[in-house]
Amino acid sequence: MTGKRLAHIAVAELGKLRTLPVAVMTTVGTAVIGALVAAALTAQLVDHGLPASAAAVTAQAVPFLQIGLILLGVLPMSHEHDGGQLRTTLTAVPRRGLLLAGKSIATLLCLALAASAAVGGVVAATALTGRLLDAPPAEDVAGQPVVGAAGYLVVVGLLAHAVALLVRSLIPALVGTLSLVLIVSPLLAGLTRHARWLPDRAARELYDPTDAVLTAATGTLVMLAWIALVGGIAAVLFVRRDP
Amino acid sequence: MSFWNTFTAELRKAGTLPASWVAVAVTLFGSAGVTVLNAVAARTALDSGAQESQGFFSAFETAYAAVPLGTVGAVVLGVVVMSSEYAANSTDAGGGRQVTATLAASPRRAVLLAAKALTVVLFVGLTAAATIPACIGVARLVIGSGPPETVGLDDALVRSVGATLYWALTGLIALAITTLARSGIIPLVVLIANSSVVSFSLLLTHVTPLAHWLPDLAGRRLFVGLPTVDGGLDAGPGALVMGAWTFALLAVAGIVFSRRDA
Repeated sequence: MTGKRLAHIAVAELGKLRTLPVAVMTTVGTAVIGALVAAALTAQLVDHGLPASAAAVTAQAVPFLQIGLILLGVLPMSHEHDGGQLRTTLTAVPRRGLLLAGKSIATLLCLALAASAAVGGVVAATALTGRLLDAPPAEDVAGQPVVGAAGYLVVVGLLAHAVALLVRSLIPALVGTLSLVLIVSPLLAGLTRHARWLPDRAARELYDPTDAVLTAATGTLVMLAWIALVGGIAAVLFVRRDP
Repeated sequence: MSFWNTFTAELRKAGTLPASWVAVAVTLFGSAGVTVLNAVAARTALDSGAQESQGFFSAFETAYAAVPLGTVGAVVLGVVVMSSEYAANSTDAGGGRQVTATLAASPRRAVLLAAKALTVVLFVGLTAAATIPACIGVARLVIGSGPPETVGLDDALVRSVGATLYWALTGLIALAITTLARSGIIPLVVLIANSSVVSFSLLLTHVTPLAHWLPDLAGRRLFVGLPTVDGGLDAGPGALVMGAWTFALLAVAGIVFSRRDA
């Protein structure tokens, strides 16, 4: 019974996201910009006479792609607080825990779709640019870093979703997550080894395994622990406080 | 209303937005925090008997290295001054937007935008005037008075003014883009990304050297003496190019803002 209701809620939330123009534009825009970034990166690698493998280009393109996924992760929760939509939503689904679960499932599906589209765009643009520029064929066909990059993008988007659930508003959630991932994390990484425990640094092991302590699996676990921590606090507050 | 009244009204609006003060606080405490980390590293090196090199132990250099971070605060200030006008009110209160009330009170839209621009400059300037000296003080406190200051007062002043100018111009560009987009999402995403290591402008320089003329890259040497990528314009011409971009964007924003429906 609960499972069926959960599915209904997830479908309803998916419908809301599908009809939210900015969500659709973000998904398409991330894929398009990702492809352009990949073309630029490939051209740069070819210029330097290096083989432009899909894995190498994807690893360099992910920092750009994550911006789109963060925006997409922030949207589902923050647009409910834009105006009074949340009250309508809670009238339709009074069980807040169930609502949150359904919304998170819908968000996860959207993020997975956007991440696949973005990484697919990167791989296609890399191959196309390499062909056009007569690049030396890249030997590696390992899919692991490419799939890992998509996984990284999904978990970063989920972190943004958790932050948006906590702060309940678009601009603080967007600025906070972007600053953490783009500014604080690279900065601290230059200053201290302990920066590896930051969520995005840990999850980076998925596509760029360079850390001495964390592996792809443990890095993902660290990231999921961060999401559980932020999301858990936010969920308790969401269930308890006035909308 | 006279320009002065519009300006004070805008100042009061910006001053009562929580987001403005969050931006100021993040700039101040974020920069100070990074200064502490840098200064502790310098102090540790000093204690372990390292030789002085390249002003590593200078309190000013230590503090100044943290200043580029404040750009994020300037971006947020520039964005919220305009995006708050377009945020929809609660549907219980009619779902209106503040911009309609603002335009009813000050119908001359170009004047209104000028007042907003001046507000952004003033806020960013005051934030810089608080942040940079505070960071230098923090650095001096942590490093101690042992090593002599290698940066003269004149030099320090010029470099601080350069950094403040970069912040202010970035804030104005954020204001112009927000006015054009009527939403804070695009300027926030683009400008925060470009002031980090994941910079779209920097990526473009690999494709065409013309990208060095983009506003954020042209002005980057306003942070005088900080290491940056090679190529591009010097501080003076770069500041002029960035200023021209800012002026052009504000002018376009002013024209669009004057002509379209709010």
